Amino acid sequence: MFPIRDLARSILCAVCLLASSASFAADTTFGVSPEKEKALIAILRSDAPAAEKALACKQLAVDGSSASVADLGKLLPNIQLSSWARIALEAIPGSESVDELRRACASLSGKLLVGTLNSIGVRRDAASIEILTKYLQDKDPEVASAAAVALGRIGTQAAAKPLRQSLSSAQGAVRSSVAEGCILCAERLHADGKSAEAAELYDAVRTSEVPKQRVLEATRGAILARQQAGLKLLGEILQSSDKKLFQLALTVSREFPGTEIDTLLAAELNRANAEKAALIVCAMADRPKTVIVSAVLKAAEQGPPTVRLAAITALGRVGDASCLSVLLATAIEPDTSLSQAAKGTLADLSGEKVNAQIVSLLPQAKAGAYPLLIEIIGQRRIEATPALLKALKHSEKAVRSAALVALGETVTLKDLPVLISQVVSPTDTSNPEETLVAHGALKAASVRMPDREACAALLAQAVEKTSSIPTKVTLLEILGAVGGTKALATIGLAAKTAEPKLQDTSTRLLGEWMTQDAAPVLLDLAHSTDLAQYQVRALRGYIRIARQFVLPEAERNEMCRKAFEASRQPAEKKMVLEVLKRYPSSESLALSIAAMKIPELKEDATAATLAIAQKLDGKGLDLKALLATAGLDHVKLEIVKAEYGAGATQKDVTSILQKQAGNLPLITFASASYNTNFGGDPIPGSVKQLKIVYRINGKTGEASFAEDATIVLPMPK
Amino acid sequence: MRHNKTNVPRRQFLKTALAVGSAAAIAPTIIPSSALGLDGAIAPSERIVVGGIGIGNRGTYDLGCFLEQKDVQFIAVCDIKEAKRIAIKKIADEKYGNGNCATYRDFRELLDRPDIDAVLIATGPNWHATAAMAAAKAGKDMYCEKPVTKNIDQSLILAETMRRTGRVFQAGTQRRNLPHFAFACELARTGKLGKLQKVFAHPAGMQAMMSGWLVPQDEPNKESVDWDMYLGPAAWRPFNAKQLDGFNFEKGGGMVGGGVLEWGSHCVDLCQWAVGDCPPPVEYNPPKDGQLVARYENGTELIFRETGWIPLGSCPVRFEGESGWVEAGDSGKIVLSSPGLLAGRTVAEIDGYPATYHVRDFLDCVKTRSLTKGNAEAACNAHIACHAANIALFLGRQVKYDNKTNMFLNDEPANRLRSEALREPWRL
Repeated sequence: MFPIRDLARSILCAVCLLASSASFAADTTFGVSPEKEKALIAILRSDAPAAEKALACKQLAVDGSSASVADLGKLLPNIQLSSWARIALEAIPGSESVDELRRACASLSGKLLVGTLNSIGVRRDAASIEILTKYLQDKDPEVASAAAVALGRIGTQAAAKPLRQSLSSAQGAVRSSVAEGCILCAERLHADGKSAEAAELYDAVRTSEVPKQRVLEATRGAILARQQAGLKLLGEILQSSDKKLFQLALTVSREFPGTEIDTLLAAELNRANAEKAALIVCAMADRPKTVIVSAVLKAAEQGPPTVRLAAITALGRVGDASCLSVLLATAIEPDTSLSQAAKGTLADLSGEKVNAQIVSLLPQAKAGAYPLLIEIIGQRRIEATPALLKALKHSEKAVRSAALVALGETVTLKDLPVLISQVVSPTDTSNPEETLVAHGALKAASVRMPDREACAALLAQAVEKTSSIPTKVTLLEILGAVGGTKALATIGLAAKTAEPKLQDTSTRLLGEWMTQDAAPVLLDLAHSTDLAQYQVRALRGYIRIARQFVLPEAERNEMCRKAFEASRQPAEKKMVLEVLKRYPSSESLALSIAAMKIPELKEDATAATLAIAQKLDGKGLDLKALLATAGLDHVKLEIVKAEYGAGATQKDVTSILQKQAGNLPLITFASASYNTNFGGDPIPGSVKQLKIVYRINGKTGEASFAEDATIVLPMPK
Repeated sequence: MRHNKTNVPRRQFLKTALAVGSAAAIAPTIIPSSALGLDGAIAPSERIVVGGIGIGNRGTYDLGCFLEQKDVQFIAVCDIKEAKRIAIKKIADEKYGNGNCATYRDFRELLDRPDIDAVLIATGPNWHATAAMAAAKAGKDMYCEKPVTKNIDQSLILAETMRRTGRVFQAGTQRRNLPHFAFACELARTGKLGKLQKVFAHPAGMQAMMSGWLVPQDEPNKESVDWDMYLGPAAWRPFNAKQLDGFNFEKGGGMVGGGVLEWGSHCVDLCQWAVGDCPPPVEYNPPKDGQLVARYENGTELIFRETGWIPLGSCPVRFEGESGWVEAGDSGKIVLSSPGLLAGRTVAEIDGYPATYHVRDFLDCVKTRSLTKGNAEAACNAHIACHAANIALFLGRQVKYDNKTNMFLNDEPANRLRSEALREPWRL
């Protein structure tokens, strides 16, 4: 993905309508300027190229009134411009535009007639029912189908009548469209409170010989339009052996109002086969406010494994404390898919009593239940530190590991040293797995400590005390994740040690630091480190902060200046130029101009200077003078070709630009308006572009400019 | 563009997703894979048979996510470009070791196949809504790339059509199935940040655009490139190869498409999730000092801004409440006003915004008929917010939107920009 701004410039947009476009900003109330509309109508009446007429139509969607309608109507039989004309006719309010659409139908056929009927449908024009009824019988199935859907869009009882009558007589694809029209009418009638009429229409469709999808839509409508009385039909399709109907029942179950549906689903859960029951459980859980939890719990406890699995998972969303014992028992079952699902649900189960019950079970828990409860205490983040500390001394590895993880998820700052000591002085050094668990637990605990600085102080103390380099590295990594002032200082100090592993870890962490206070630490390192790889890493981290963070302009420019000074090779200096380009200011321009004096940067710095100059236009700077100080007044500029306009309408402005071309890659005029400078507007009402083919010092380049933009020509590559 | 395939076990991710989802008012149940028959060999009758419509660069990535799934059988591809049809058929045939992937130039023929359950729609944005509506009416479920719609009316009709037809719809807003974004949205939605005051989205370009009418070139043979089908619902114009980039062609359709929509359909969508997928803002102001401010009915501000972000990768979002804030981006990381907001939870970091989980969510919902994370209603609201912002941009002034009537208040110019006629014979 890349910014639209670049896309617009680079590829497609023949027309760019800038947000600040003054021509549109002025119209705060409609009423359209008659002059603008008149000019657009004149284009439609002229022998202008089709492209101009197309864009005029598009503009009339915004600026047109009934005055434009007749001229737009004349384009409806035009294969190229018909759809452009309908863009305006659909948008222009008032009866005139839809009258025009209707009038045009008599002279149209095939796709053009279809399009016009579609537009009538979009306008939902009740006065068109008669003509649409006529076209409903058209021998062209596309036309008859368009008429059917347009009637459906109108959606009144009057529109429904011809559709209803055609439901059995229409053939093939037309019948499907007639059914679609009926359903659209029924939807509208139902929304308007005419549910009985809607239900009748839905029934007519679902009992007709129409494609299966239409039957499904009508069945859904027939159930919902009947409200609670629709439950009977819903029950029937819930028991259907037809997969599509059963799927529809699942969908409608989720949107059906009231609580009787929950009773129906619970009953059906008992009756259905395993495959269906698993899906019914899902539907039940998607009704969290009214679901019958006991039915889901029963399905979780016994029955086919697939249904149990679905029910256990569903309890994670709809279960409560009443489900605890079943879930705990399931969580230590040998079937791993069931036990894992139960553990997941135990972690998510809601209800105030759940936590207290879990803690109360801990003292008498035996065998597998003990580590399970500890695990759940951690996952639910229940405060039970004394019990967990006790478990840390357990003889079984599984219990100790569970306790470590749980402490990582629950411990407070006061007990954080317990976890630090597990990392610094592990109980069992022969067990690397447990060591890793301890690292993870300390990190999990540290990053969530509300008092970040106090946490970092404890970790920093441990870094200082331990002599083990791997342990120091681990603690530094955790400090990096914690962040803050103390962490930054500790890592900065470690980066300056002579130990390569500490240097490597610390410079990497500093390079990714998430706050700008790392900048002075990184710059200091960039100056003081002898090893090239860490010098570059530190400097790039420093430049990253200048590039990515929100900083005062002066501070950013000062950072760029310092980064230039600290850079030992061109690659980093070029990165600084990118920052300068990204944040243009008079200071960044001065820095960029200064960089042009460095031979290996000359080309990049020149491009940056021109780019900054272009962005600074209109900000009160004497660009010409500034660029002249950069030696940019010595270029040989030739304008090869220049065109100004939109779409296919382009005005040759080569000679005008050639007259203005000097020895700068910049062309200025007395007026800021291209139209003034180029002898008038070549295509009023359209947003235009200036395209220039040029040569600078013999190298050919091409550039495009939005209307009235400053013309700074990029140096050709 | 990174689309890393990640190795987070499905169960582990679903657990995170469930933990996050549990706070939502109505969140879909994610059924365990074994309950859906995914643990062992998949019986042919249990496979989801998928076809692809318009499979270009993005679509090929999406298709890879589908092909990773054991319960997917991809059997047909439609594209207006012969080269794409051949390329995608090759991928599918190599995957299955056969030559069965059928190719079509006209997607209606693909939709007519009764054996296809679901389609992946990854055409250019010009076609998304029209193709999605056709697919729904043909009884197919669909995963549809974003931006899903070209204007406000299309957004509303899309949501209404998916409801009416009972189809499962997943917009290509895959960040809804990534744990760090989900967590950030949950914090905002569940009041952990205090009363929500501002949600920020990164539009990456605030300008409106249209594709215009370029100088005619010789139209290729239909078999090679079907220009008429490529234009589809877009107004007619002569062939010009420069417009064959579906990613950009008629993205916004009307006078006001473009900028805000491309990234907004992701980051505004996340903001919408953060505010509980409520109806879109009711007031939109033109940009000032690089920010476009919209306002929800309850006063919360939706702010589009280009700069001022913590460097967390592309598509950053930020949610600010009375007592805290959170910011997240495509790096997979989140930054919190206080570590205490984690409340002991560990949020998985997945960078590169992979779509694998989003595709899995879609496939699960095809089976369960539950709502996807990127369902049509949610996508509709997010897209309306983007379209309305575009209209404020285009008009250069404030517009007010009424969510009850789905019209701009006393504002004919803005209301004229709510929709655009489709070229014949296409309709929604």
